[in-house]
Amino acid sequence: MKLIKLLMSAIFVFGIVFPCYAEKIVMEGSTTVLPIAQRAAEVFMQKNPQTDISVRGGGSGVGIASIIDGTCDIGNSSRPIKDSELDKAATNRKDIKAHVVAMDGIAVIVNPGNNISALSKKQIKDIYTGKVSGWSAVGGSGEKIVVISRDTSSGTFEAFGELVLDKEKVRPDALMQASNQAIASIVARTPGAIGYVGLGYISSEVKAVAVNGVMPSKETVLSNKYPIGRPLFMYTNGEPKGAAKELLDFIKSSEGQKLVEVEGFVGLK
Amino acid sequence: MKRLFNVMLLALFIAVYLPHNAGAGEVDILLQKLVEKGVLTQGEAQQVGTETKEQVKKEISQGKSFSLPAWVQNVKLKGDLRLRYQYKHDKATGDYEKDTNIGRVRARLGLEAKVNEKILAGIGIATGSGDPRSTNISFGDYNSKKTLVLDYAYAKYNALPWLTLVGGKMYLNDTLWEPTDLIWDTDITPEGAVIQLNKNVNPNLALSMNLGALIVSADTSSDTDAPMAYIIQPQASYKFNDDLSLKGALSFQSFHNVKGHACSKYASGSNTGITKIGSADATGNYVYDYQMLNPALELKVIQPFKALGLNIETLKLFGEYVNNLDVSKGASGYSMGFQFGNDKIEKWGDWQFRYVYAMLGRDAVLDVLPDSDRYSGKTGMRSHEGSLSYGLGKNVSLGLDVYRSWSIIGAKAPETLIQTDINMKF
Repeated sequence: MKLIKLLMSAIFVFGIVFPCYAEKIVMEGSTTVLPIAQRAAEVFMQKNPQTDISVRGGGSGVGIASIIDGTCDIGNSSRPIKDSELDKAATNRKDIKAHVVAMDGIAVIVNPGNNISALSKKQIKDIYTGKVSGWSAVGGSGEKIVVISRDTSSGTFEAFGELVLDKEKVRPDALMQASNQAIASIVARTPGAIGYVGLGYISSEVKAVAVNGVMPSKETVLSNKYPIGRPLFMYTNGEPKGAAKELLDFIKSSEGQKLVEVEGFVGLK
Repeated sequence: MKRLFNVMLLALFIAVYLPHNAGAGEVDILLQKLVEKGVLTQGEAQQVGTETKEQVKKEISQGKSFSLPAWVQNVKLKGDLRLRYQYKHDKATGDYEKDTNIGRVRARLGLEAKVNEKILAGIGIATGSGDPRSTNISFGDYNSKKTLVLDYAYAKYNALPWLTLVGGKMYLNDTLWEPTDLIWDTDITPEGAVIQLNKNVNPNLALSMNLGALIVSADTSSDTDAPMAYIIQPQASYKFNDDLSLKGALSFQSFHNVKGHACSKYASGSNTGITKIGSADATGNYVYDYQMLNPALELKVIQPFKALGLNIETLKLFGEYVNNLDVSKGASGYSMGFQFGNDKIEKWGDWQFRYVYAMLGRDAVLDVLPDSDRYSGKTGMRSHEGSLSYGLGKNVSLGLDVYRSWSIIGAKAPETLIQTDINMKF
């Protein structure tokens, strides 16, 4: 009898303490989508001062897990939701709804002093998996290749692994970086470096190379001609309502898509 | 305005009609034609096409798709087959030495069915003789046919996002979490009911609690006070950053009314007073109850040796302690160890090394619970265990497990156990 009382008390306390209710919009997830979310939230809050939007990173996996667990209102992701995540959502009775908010091309970048201007996907794969270690093997100088990659928790790393590496492992001596900006900075100051970043991080300090003969650009990414392109997502639990719906409508509007392009991504309008 | 109307109409058509009647490739072709005719921009085509594919995936997952019969979507089959060669060298009391070589097989087949949106039912059969700690069966006996047993049969009710109820003969990890098999052999499928409470407080902190009432032995009509086990285990997982996380748990496992009851025929016979396994006479009865307090911790580091240029996926450091509050001598035990390599063995070249050091006092735990491979499942021992797993291909792996164990009661009687396995999962 005492045990039953103990169990019932524990359930009651758990039920009272744990459920929490957010009154503001919480966006969480992909660091790639983060600049879009931050810029859109900033402009949206200026137009709607009564709305409080909190934007956090953490990676695509975290964003999708949070929307399934109900700890955020919008889960940002730079990859489509996985079947295992959909199964978990179905088990938790969550009706996950995908919103495509932009397109991203993963640009392969080298130092501007490098004479390489085009690589095939296979050559990039060989470089990143360690089969090739000098630029001479892919038509460049005799310099050693310095491989820079995103860390394993990033959505960009997962997308690059699937789209280019066929899920093979990145060579162990690759320098793993926590952000697109860090990769771009290292490539800019390291003559033999190669890295990959979102299209928004291409600048005059680095050189984007053509992949399979196609340069990364808005047109080639939208038409799926560029081989390392991907849609960027915001996920909601069911059809969005209230302020979350207004925010998503704003991001998908012409004004929102201009912000997407300001951040260097490919707008859908 | 007309353009917006066209896009909305098309999106509605694709969302409602195409998921059930056309493949993804046909959707892409249709969208491309609309782009060529200037009805859609390339960006709008991307948006409609991608969101439609996501919708189809979701509907399949929810079992709403018409493309597969509902029963196919609601039932999952899984299983594994393990072939083992085992060598054991033991030096018993009186300097009698013995070498044993045996071939073994373990085959398991399980089915999990989604009864409805809230209830899952699982049924599994396995090779075995009924031993709760093993689903291995040894080759030999003139090619005799081997027996299959019911390994588990449970129902899981997801009542609320934070509340799950499990009943029946269930997986051990539905009952409690343990970083090593110091107390419970992982082959045990406990019987009874468990309440699981869980909540992700924020992206970094997850809390959970398991509350269980388990039937230990209740098979005689004269047994008015049947042995039962009550378990409470609060757990917490904290993610410091993407590369570092910590999981901890504190369990209290109370085995009531064990004292005075005959020990199981599958017990190791190493608890105090047990000299005759399975007997109901005085020498076959348990002397104590088991009120076990068990703290456990596991630290996980992703890419721990990145600074050294070594690509090692994960490192885990773990340990647990147990104390039986019902006795004063031989009441405690502990295990500690580490694991590094790939987190899971899934394909060619994946590998994992694990080391565990364990000590168990004679009456720290009930002697029908601990790992059956570690000193033949006995208490009152110390042991080193090193194991290496290597992926031979998709879902196929090779395993080598070596135990060196000895008694801490009386003569040391050391034992060396070497197991080589080929594992196949499907």
